[in-house]
Amino acid sequence: MAEILLNCKGLQCPGPIMQVFKTAKEAESGDTILVKVTDRGFAKDIQAWCKKTGNELLELNVGETEISAKILKK
Amino acid sequence: MKERILIIGAVAAGTKAAAKIKRENPAAEVVVVTKDRDISYAGCGLPYFIGGLIEERKELIVKTPEDFEAATGATVWTLCEATKIYPKEKTVKIENLLTKEETLFSYDKLVIATGASPFVPPIPGRELKGVYTLRTIDDAVAIREAVDRGSAKKAVIVGGGFIGLEVAENLKDKGVEVSIVELVPHILPPFDEEMALYAQNYIQEQGVNIYTQEKVAAFEGAEGKVQRVITDQRELEADLVVLSVGVRPNTALAKEAGIEIGTTGAIKTNAFMETSIPDIYAVGDCAETKHLVTGAPAWIPMGSTANKMGRVAAINLADTGKERLPGVLGTTIVKLFKLNAGKTGLSERDAKKAGYQVETAIVPANDRAHYYPGYREIITKLIVDKKSHKVLGAQVVGEGVVDKPIDILATAITLGARVEDIEKLDLAYAPPFSMAMASTIVAASVIVNKLMGKLEGISPLELKKKLDSLQIIDTRDEGSYLIGAIPGSIHIPSGELPSRIQSLDPNKETVLVCKIGKNAYLSYLKLKALGFEKVKILDGGIRAYPFELE
Repeated sequence: MAEILLNCKGLQCPGPIMQVFKTAKEAESGDTILVKVTDRGFAKDIQAWCKKTGNELLELNVGETEISAKILKK
Repeated sequence: MKERILIIGAVAAGTKAAAKIKRENPAAEVVVVTKDRDISYAGCGLPYFIGGLIEERKELIVKTPEDFEAATGATVWTLCEATKIYPKEKTVKIENLLTKEETLFSYDKLVIATGASPFVPPIPGRELKGVYTLRTIDDAVAIREAVDRGSAKKAVIVGGGFIGLEVAENLKDKGVEVSIVELVPHILPPFDEEMALYAQNYIQEQGVNIYTQEKVAAFEGAEGKVQRVITDQRELEADLVVLSVGVRPNTALAKEAGIEIGTTGAIKTNAFMETSIPDIYAVGDCAETKHLVTGAPAWIPMGSTANKMGRVAAINLADTGKERLPGVLGTTIVKLFKLNAGKTGLSERDAKKAGYQVETAIVPANDRAHYYPGYREIITKLIVDKKSHKVLGAQVVGEGVVDKPIDILATAITLGARVEDIEKLDLAYAPPFSMAMASTIVAASVIVNKLMGKLEGISPLELKKKLDSLQIIDTRDEGSYLIGAIPGSIHIPSGELPSRIQSLDPNKETVLVCKIGKNAYLSYLKLKALGFEKVKILDGGIRAYPFELE
């Protein structure tokens, strides 16, 4: 069970979600992905993405300048 | 003999006129009468007083009558109502509302600044306790007290204009459950539908219920207190109702005196703020002006305009110069939770109604450099006259800085700028403040491309209407398409377009969709080169598409 850190700060949509998509594809079931993003649209996108793909959104923190999300690969 | 000047009304325009007259002609005797207790109060701040952001009543008072008299040298009569103007005799009958005493005031010059009042539609039950309008400080105090003592837990706002929305936000912040009922198809009626719907979706995400195209039929209650709002489609529980369906100019006094009323329903004035009767001026929310784009009479009551009108009238009346108010653009801005929405000039709808052939662009962009943390998205809509290329209007919505682009565009429109002029503006740039290509400039470039025939777009509204008959190609990445796409769209990432061209019908009307419109433009050029004739891109892409995705 690896914890994969993903720095997507500075990347604009769809950059972060593409990175998460790619990382999740390569990850093992049970791995967690911690992603940090500055793109505001990501907060909504990651919720929708997890719903559609069946992965679990463990944490979502929306700060003034940074959004972080923790995803459990199913 | 020194000149006697009477001003009827003492909020923004009236007090502004009084103060300026005294500065221009200190010898003049200036008397301001108002039927209210307060003068010079911050009417636009009332929603924020309800929410508690403005803590105390006194913070809303710009100046007390005593302070105002001391500062300006004008005299203020509060709780005094001007009840009749006799233009021939140049007198005004004034009633002291406390003593009921009547006096006849002789004036040399008169300024009417009677303002506007909330329109109260004839809905049964409007007299019930708990049904409010919001115009005066007392209204705001009553609403806040109801909320603070816990007797208002469910509120219905009738009317989704600026005041209604600001009240909705402030009540929601106080933990009140809020529903908005709006008669027309969207909130923010002056905005174009797709921009208003963007804001509407946002407000709904904040937990406010919005019911559009719905008519309030009645207020019902028990023991004289409101409990329910009945619309033509549902029943809403409510212990607080705020009626905010617009204001009407207070013109009765002027009308009775034989002063001409304009086509907008407000008092007709010329650029000097003179009415149809010599030595009588009208300023503020009761007075008409012109629309700077169309030249037609306009009545767009705003605190900003009221102050300018007061100043112009004062200078002309004091005869120390000749000042003109050329007109207004209806520039306006509102904060809705963390979303900002601004507008200037004509909407697309109004421009078409006025007979213009328009080109439009909807362009999502950022308010600051995308690598500078804390940047936010804003969506710009530009409306341009196809013939002259002059900018007719603009709307900007988003969580980011909106007032700057709107003010740039208001300035540009006022000075008669063509969209090509805007594209080349030298605007302030550093990452914390702007993108290297500012959002306004990018939007101008998109329109210039369209005007030159380099690109054809389809608006979100038109796409929604034609959804079933179009070949819609989504050129975004797989993840983005998965999260939400336009119903019926085919997913072909832009890189795969050449290899998958066979699967497409070149004769069918085709729309290319991407996130903001840029990628679709690249694909558009590819398809055009491959012989596709009827291709368009979705203006503003998915980011500005306010309808359902799947």
